[in-house]
Amino acid sequence: MTAPDDMPGPSPAAPAAGPPAAPVLSARDVVIRYGGVTAVNGLSMDAFAAEAVGLIGPNGAGKSSFLAALGGQARIQSGSISLAGQNVSRLPAHARARRGIARTFQLTSEFSGMTTFENLVTAGHGAAGASLASVLAHPRRSRQQDLAMARRAWEVLERFELADIANAYGRELSGGQRRLVEIMRCLMRSPTVLLLDEPMVGVAPHLVDRMVADLKAIRDDGISLIIVEHALEVVRELCDRVVVMADGASIAAGSYEQVVKDREVQAAYLG
Amino acid sequence: MLSSWTFFISTLVVYFGVDLLSGLSLNLQFGYAGVINFGYIIFQAAGAYAAAVVTLGPSGPASFQHYVFGAKLPFPLPLLLATAVGAALAGVVGLFGLRRIRRDYQAVVLLIVSLIALQLVQADVPLFNGSNGLVGIPRPLQSQLALTPQGYQWAYAAWVLALCALVYLLVRWLSKSTWGRSLRAVRDQEDAAASLGLNVTALRLQVFVIGGAIAGLSGGLLVEFIGAWSPDAWGYAETFVIFTAMFVGGVGNYRGVLLGVLLVPILFLQLPQFLPQIGYPGLTGSLEWIIVGLVWMAILLLRPQGILPERRALALPDLSREAA
Amino acid sequence: MGTLVSAVAFGVVLASVIAVAAMGFTIQFGLTNVFNLSFGAIMTVGAFAAYLAQVNGINAWYGLAVGGAAGAVLTLLIGRGLFRVYARRGAKLFEMVMVTLGLGLVINYAIQAISQNNVYQFAVLQSKPLRLGPAAITPTQAILVGIAVAVFAALEAMLRLTRTGKALRAMAAEPTLARSCGIRTGRVVIVTWLLSGFLCGMAGVVYIINTQSVGYATGENFLPLVVAAAILGGAGSPAGAVVAALAMGVVTEIVSAYGGPQYSTVAGFGILVLVLVARPGSVLGGQARETRLTL
Repeated sequence: MTAPDDMPGPSPAAPAAGPPAAPVLSARDVVIRYGGVTAVNGLSMDAFAAEAVGLIGPNGAGKSSFLAALGGQARIQSGSISLAGQNVSRLPAHARARRGIARTFQLTSEFSGMTTFENLVTAGHGAAGASLASVLAHPRRSRQQDLAMARRAWEVLERFELADIANAYGRELSGGQRRLVEIMRCLMRSPTVLLLDEPMVGVAPHLVDRMVADLKAIRDDGISLIIVEHALEVVRELCDRVVVMADGASIAAGSYEQVVKDREVQAAYLG
Repeated sequence: MLSSWTFFISTLVVYFGVDLLSGLSLNLQFGYAGVINFGYIIFQAAGAYAAAVVTLGPSGPASFQHYVFGAKLPFPLPLLLATAVGAALAGVVGLFGLRRIRRDYQAVVLLIVSLIALQLVQADVPLFNGSNGLVGIPRPLQSQLALTPQGYQWAYAAWVLALCALVYLLVRWLSKSTWGRSLRAVRDQEDAAASLGLNVTALRLQVFVIGGAIAGLSGGLLVEFIGAWSPDAWGYAETFVIFTAMFVGGVGNYRGVLLGVLLVPILFLQLPQFLPQIGYPGLTGSLEWIIVGLVWMAILLLRPQGILPERRALALPDLSREAA
Repeated sequence: MGTLVSAVAFGVVLASVIAVAAMGFTIQFGLTNVFNLSFGAIMTVGAFAAYLAQVNGINAWYGLAVGGAAGAVLTLLIGRGLFRVYARRGAKLFEMVMVTLGLGLVINYAIQAISQNNVYQFAVLQSKPLRLGPAAITPTQAILVGIAVAVFAALEAMLRLTRTGKALRAMAAEPTLARSCGIRTGRVVIVTWLLSGFLCGMAGVVYIINTQSVGYATGENFLPLVVAAAILGGAGSPAGAVVAALAMGVVTEIVSAYGGPQYSTVAGFGILVLVLVARPGSVLGGQARETRLTL
């Protein structure tokens, strides 16, 4: 792992100098409506490799809905989402996941009746290992893959120093452990983009710094992080760039220091 | 006297085997994939009907009962057809019934589908002979085997148990495979499973079709044993009995299912038929159902995981490190 | 033409019977989120209560109130006494369906045991049929249609004009919000059990006034039509339930008139399947927003 703070790569605060890298994920004019309510109203955003983007804003600003649109959990009414240059707007969630988007959920989504270890191994296999045809036609190969995935799961567990909860059921874990299981599960997929919906909720205060460090390390592995987070100190610490949302649209973007000085942002937060 | 007892026990063994197949099918669908198949009975009935019509011989204008596609196929073919019909029907119903709707809605929709199917069958004389059903279905290989009636009973029971063992091993192996683990992921958190690349719809449909195949097989075995197919015998309450058995024994645990099938359909529902009658005719029947309902509610309240709960799959760090 | 008109007339009568039950089902389900499959069994209890009242010399029409009261009391007892216990022990939406299914089985077969599995006559004084053009319906049937209309009007008025009714609608739409706005949710839930139970028991009586006989399977056989109407109309919407009941009743009777009575119920369910396939949005939910039991 390289030193986290002076990574080369797109410098987010300033407009990119020199030949700009192509964004990994790019959203254009995304509109989401539920019934008659417009949750996201024409939001555009780019995310680059090895960069953490914070998505902040008051409750009901449309942050989670936007994340759901990126991950494929919510349908968009107009606009487009492209991943590595390919339009994925109409792809279902599992197809986007196979192309490199991984995500965590606001309400933790661990598989409650499976052990941590099984959570990770299942995630690692994804589509390929889970296919009934491959299990039936190549039982041996499928067992080999399972072994390889088990090794990987142990690596990830040891990286997060969580080998001792390997055999605990999802429902037996603490809130913070559940968040970590979700994140480890995503890493099993070697994603290019990782969407995090309030990853610090339920995490014990003394573990927050640890999680921030973990997330930085993930970013520095080259993964693009998009984080919805209410705890502003976490955003300041972790995010290279911040997008502020209010009423379904972006009202400011830039470094954390820039956006907190913005009048409109202050107004949106104070109501 | 003795012969009537062996007759009775061998019949119970066949019923046990058929119910066990149902339990295995539902446990794969519900225990592993979280699919609530309240319409289970129609797949079993369809398999039974398919097996019956290809055993009865051609249906002509002269024959006293109506059915479609009459034929007289040799022994294992009717069972294979029953399996295929169960699977195919499950595929069709699954395509419509397994949409991403709330789980309680889904359960009720499948229940209603099974009620529609029953009424359709009872209404339709040219296709299904209406509520009279089919009778006189010959037993497989009875003339070729040249056994005493009792010997045949036991041979059939052994054949059913052998198939049960086969299906048991197959289903357990599938459940433990990576595919089975993915089913559990879908069961626990469907959105998260999809966000990890699992095709939730395809997995559900697959498990539904496999369960339907087992249902069809069990129906075929049953109809060839009792020699008759009556629509009244395929009410939704039969599905409910197997669900009760699964909940009593333990959801997600195949040994639990085995235990549950021994306890509920056999102990509660079959044995009382041989107890002395109390009250007016039919009272025993009502009381049995009341007891099944009460057992069901008590289990849901006191021990929803069943007598033998799902077993934790332990991962052993040392083994996999050695492999590395 | 004559066949069609009288099929529509009979359809409206059938729709009235479905509608009373479906309105009860839909407000219960809309508020509590319990998919109560014991509803049919409770209809039967209401029907038998009216029958027993009749045997003891009470007029069949007063039986509507007797059946309604029986349904209301029983529903409140199981709602507060039984379902809540399961919910406290962690039962979610689906587990609750299982509980209600088991309860329905117990009530049904208890009635079967007590009634000795007989079907009893429930006689209502009949007078000459009324002629409506080519269609002829009995005055009894006309009164049943009137009852359904009156129940609908009363229910809508209650939901829109009274405090409790408004609270009930607010809670069905936004349970958490309603609680934090100071609505006394416990009281609203009790009212919902009583009201839906009353409609349920009364629907049982309406049904047997129409068929003139009562047996243990009365409500059970009718339940799928009721559930289908409630799903079609949208949970929690009495108006939707009435419209859906009309559609199902009329289609059922038209199919019965032209295609033979044996296909009539199948056609009623056919509508449900069609709607599920064509407009799954009406039953979608619970995906984006976690739906909870309110007990």
